[in-house]
Amino acid sequence: QSLSLSMTPTQTAAWRKQIFEQLSERSKRELDNFKHYEQAVEQSVWVKKGAM
Amino acid sequence: MADDKDVLRDVWFGRIPTCFTLNPDEITEREAEPYYLLLPRVSYLPLVTDKVKKHFHKVMKAEDVEEMWFEYEGTPLKWHYPIGVLFDLHASNTVLPWSITVHFKSFPDRDLLHCPSNSIIEAHFMSSIKEADALKHKSQVVNDMQKKDHKQLWMGLQNDKFDQFWAMNRKLMEYPTEEGGFRYIPFRIYQALSERLFIQKLFRPVSPEGNTHTLGDLLKEMYPDALTNDGEQKRYQVLIHGIEPLLETPLQWLSEHLSHPDNFLHICAIPVPTD
Repeated sequence: QSLSLSMTPTQTAAWRKQIFEQLSERSKRELDNFKHYEQAVEQSVWVKKGAM
Repeated sequence: MADDKDVLRDVWFGRIPTCFTLNPDEITEREAEPYYLLLPRVSYLPLVTDKVKKHFHKVMKAEDVEEMWFEYEGTPLKWHYPIGVLFDLHASNTVLPWSITVHFKSFPDRDLLHCPSNSIIEAHFMSSIKEADALKHKSQVVNDMQKKDHKQLWMGLQNDKFDQFWAMNRKLMEYPTEEGGFRYIPFRIYQALSERLFIQKLFRPVSPEGNTHTLGDLLKEMYPDALTNDGEQKRYQVLIHGIEPLLETPLQWLSEHLSHPDNFLHICAIPVPTD
């Protein structure tokens, strides 16, 4: 479900496009130079250990 | 063009590069090196700082360690606000990494809630979700969920599992098509440099005449100072997740896509830097 159903594509384009662009800029600003930093929450991987 | 679902991922995986430094007044056995981490914007400080605690505990005696708390430039950081909100509110125009000071004594009881365990964060998080659902759906969705569904929302946040969280959270984002949105939008507007904690009132996503309410409509009603009249210089940045959405952005869309996992749209009004 989306609210944009009631709006024309040209009306929605500006604000939506601007959000995508700004999120991309935010990622450059806050992440690109800091990728070597450790993540606070590790993405754990399930490892199945055999009993033998 | 990117899909709206990409926005949900971008919001979830937002990270703040942070440098933790031990308060110089703490008693240590040897010098404490700073500790660098990428903090999830949508999480809570005590939920993601176990490594910081362990790192500084190594150079301290057990008897010198009390409850850990954090400070940025003299301001104690409220752990019950999402990390991204704390950053946008207090440090958005500073150079990265975000420099946070770590304390293990003199807990500021007047400013901060104690957080002895993760179950306190869980209770706070779930109560926010329930409050948001009371506004959106008269609590019908959250009350129809089972205990394990509530747990899935919490575990998703705690373990940074986007798919696990959203498999359940999407139910909280549904609404009857004919109504055009939620009953009320769960939002909070935070002001930097204000004694008032935040603005939270009832506001609908659609006007009685059926017009879509926008971010601009919300600000006009709740915080007109944040808006700029024609010819005036901009005085405030209105930040959500570190970005400034256009004022014509529909509020319902923002609530569905830029809310925090607690289901509230957290909006920060920051004075524009003058220098």
